[in-house]
Amino acid sequence: MGKFILRRLLLLIPIMLGLTVLVFLFIRLLPGDPAGAILGERATPEAVERVRTALGLDRPLIEQYWEYVSGLVRLDLGTSFITNRDVTDDFLQRFPATVELTAAAMIFALTLGIPLGMLTAKRRGSWLDSAGTVVSLIGISIPIFFLGLMLKFLFAIHWPILPDSGRIDLIEYAIPRVTNMMTVDAILAGEFGGFVDALRHLILPGIALGTIPLAIIMRITRASVIDVLNEDYVRTANAKGLASRVVDNRHVLRNALLPVVTVIGLQMGLLLGGAILTETIFGWGGVGKWIYDAVVNNDYQVIQSGVLVLAVIFVLVNLAVDVSYAFLNPRIRYS
Amino acid sequence: MRTWRWVSVLAVLVLVLAACGQQPAATPDEGSEPPASGSESEAPEPSASEDVDGGEPTAGGTLVFAGARLAASLDPALTSDGESFRILQQVYEPLVDLAPGTTDELVGVLAESWTGEPSDTEYVFTLREGVTFHDGTPLDAEAVKFNFDRMQSFSEEFQGDAYYYGALMDGFGPENLISSVEATDALTVTITLREPSPTFLFGITLTPFSIVSPAILESTSAGDAAASTFGTDVVQGGTGPFVLDDYVPDDSATLSRNEDYWGDPALLDSLIIRPIADPAARLQALQGGSVQGYDLVNPSDYETVESEGFSLVERLSFNTLYLGLNPVARENAVEAESGVAEGYEGEDSPLQDLAVRQAIEMAIDKEALIEPFYGGRGSVADTFMPPSSGWFDAVLAGVEPAEFDADGARQLLEDAGFNAENPATIHFWYPTEVTRPYMPDPRGLHEAITQMLEDVGFVVVPNSDIWDSPGYLFDAQNGFYDLHFLGWTGDYDDPSNWYGVHFGYAQEEGSDDRAAAAQFGCDVDGLDDAISAADAELDEAARGEAWAEVAGLIHENVCFVTLAHGDTALAFTDVVQGYEPNPTGSESFQSVWLSE
Repeated sequence: MGKFILRRLLLLIPIMLGLTVLVFLFIRLLPGDPAGAILGERATPEAVERVRTALGLDRPLIEQYWEYVSGLVRLDLGTSFITNRDVTDDFLQRFPATVELTAAAMIFALTLGIPLGMLTAKRRGSWLDSAGTVVSLIGISIPIFFLGLMLKFLFAIHWPILPDSGRIDLIEYAIPRVTNMMTVDAILAGEFGGFVDALRHLILPGIALGTIPLAIIMRITRASVIDVLNEDYVRTANAKGLASRVVDNRHVLRNALLPVVTVIGLQMGLLLGGAILTETIFGWGGVGKWIYDAVVNNDYQVIQSGVLVLAVIFVLVNLAVDVSYAFLNPRIRYS
Repeated sequence: MRTWRWVSVLAVLVLVLAACGQQPAATPDEGSEPPASGSESEAPEPSASEDVDGGEPTAGGTLVFAGARLAASLDPALTSDGESFRILQQVYEPLVDLAPGTTDELVGVLAESWTGEPSDTEYVFTLREGVTFHDGTPLDAEAVKFNFDRMQSFSEEFQGDAYYYGALMDGFGPENLISSVEATDALTVTITLREPSPTFLFGITLTPFSIVSPAILESTSAGDAAASTFGTDVVQGGTGPFVLDDYVPDDSATLSRNEDYWGDPALLDSLIIRPIADPAARLQALQGGSVQGYDLVNPSDYETVESEGFSLVERLSFNTLYLGLNPVARENAVEAESGVAEGYEGEDSPLQDLAVRQAIEMAIDKEALIEPFYGGRGSVADTFMPPSSGWFDAVLAGVEPAEFDADGARQLLEDAGFNAENPATIHFWYPTEVTRPYMPDPRGLHEAITQMLEDVGFVVVPNSDIWDSPGYLFDAQNGFYDLHFLGWTGDYDDPSNWYGVHFGYAQEEGSDDRAAAAQFGCDVDGLDDAISAADAELDEAARGEAWAEVAGLIHENVCFVTLAHGDTALAFTDVVQGYEPNPTGSESFQSVWLSE
């Protein structure tokens, strides 16, 4: 197992190198450049040229790439072209907010997706199964932007039971940002009311962001459970009179979860991508919103570092998923 | 069955959470504490402006307000956008400022009085006594000198961001407009200019010219671009009615009343500013009660805002949308890398004929654009300068606004030799992926104006490009487009910042040779001399006349067609009172109060 993890970690090096090239070249293909974004509509061509020189954008690409990669090796993500702020600081400051939102979305997707997948599989062919299929199709195809605005309209404006945006009621709770995860900070501050309020603020954005993963997890669970239900050992377990709860938990779910876990890892990418839209419409100061602004402003330094760090996180989460296979299915050996 | 139970438990949990603390989120007036005095009766008509009274102003409460973004930097000298100014001008103050609600009336802020006329090179400011910065440092002449010296000696890394200092002081360092800043005595500052500048006093009203506590500037290494933490740390360096308590980028800025303020203290206990980029999401935040006010209401939402009992506070525009006309675009475009020239296919531009340009101006029904695109809140632009400008009447005197006359336009085109067989073909560009207060819907405006031009016989070739430079902006400013949209938001109220900037570019830095920006390709006899003369004129009345002459020459020759001034608006819940909008966006929350 140790060897497996080490090998996977070593594999990260070529993956990262490839990613740096892709990210570096992709953003330079984006229309516009940072100089134009900094100077705005008042830019004269001469001023644009001056700023380009100051930012080093007039130098050969290979030189710019070398500077970027050597910075990464020193763990120096650089300084934003637009705000002059340290990219590492900015990332670390916002990342906890995104983690909190992503976790809420994942919890929503898992706690509903797996049971619903299981249920529809066991009632295969029933009206419940058909309804589940329709709902999950809608879930997959609904745009987050639309869903977010609709959820807000329904549950924050029409029936005002949940907050429409933000991370906590700033008037009621002045909670010091220690971790910048509001739920954790509220507990650290000993504010139970603040903790509940932070959870309430997580519900709508969590649902908006978690709906697509929910639908996908539900469908995969259903398909996987159906496969397992047809296995001989399940029939045997049922035949020898085991309680259906025991059959479900010990024999069906455990074996059916393997593909689901893989999908969960892959969903992380979707969640981090979806966070951009969710954070924008829910006024959530996370990494998604930060990278979105950077793309709008052609802030190369932020995009190339931010996207890379997210990619590393994505790869690491998937490594963790692979490792977790061993716990779910001891027959798997890493060699 | 277990699964069902599991799902039900989850659903109940969500409902319980939703029910917990439902009250604060549901009521729009959350957080506004009971008034310290005043009646219990309901506030009269919803209002946030001074003309409708919501009762006696009372102190107390917290206002949560949404803008599109937070500040680009917390260092006022390094900011140049309205969202940054919104936060920083509550905390920091300049020597002089625009009187509330005006664009051309100066009042002393940190300077109690000053001497110096537009024709002078020496300005003497007498500082207010007893003012202290939020960190306790007293304000004195040395502090003012320290601030100006810092900006004057900005290193190159800072200069790009210190846009306004560079633009208004003609660059940085020893050769620019400022000859010296001296602390003549404890409360007297003398600023000497190299040459008279009629715009100097208006320039220093801008937020970037705010005076910061020298102790804070030193402790945050604000002079060193590599080490400065002034732009990022929460510090107590201002003198304003609010103190910055907390700042979480992309999340919130929390300000509280400065109890030791030298003037009337702010009425709000605290002010929280949140960034919500999407205008629809800002409206929802107002409807959902998580904010009590927001800026930049979408014109299409004006009706919703008003019909739901919120108050709409209109801010007269300080901007202008225009149609740029470039008779030599097709020659210029040969150099374009974006392939613009291919569309022109070697045709001569009909825009070289003044009659054709006049026909374009006459063909456009500007009035018809206001209702659909500006929600009825904008106004027709007869001159480049908006009616909110103190120079509007003076400049208008030199301009004869073209009346909409489709038949006249048709006749002009015919007289110029264009008809159905030989139509005047023009290429008309609009930007994508952008909206501006003066240009809420570029594509829609393009369609409307194309229709008007086609109605009188033009053949219009539609084109678009993305806004960012090098894209639309780059090609437009380099003069590659026949016909294009662009607009301007004034930095300060002087014709030189409007007509001067666009038609009187110095050919080289420091040179007196002037020309219209390449964008217009406008070659008008005597225009450069007229602009030089107007810019140098220091007597206010004569200056107005001189700029009127400039405006007359530009409009007569139809170098551009000014289309509309787009007003902007803020929305508030009915408890928010006393917000005073200003066309320049220079707005303080000092007088804002909550009526219940």
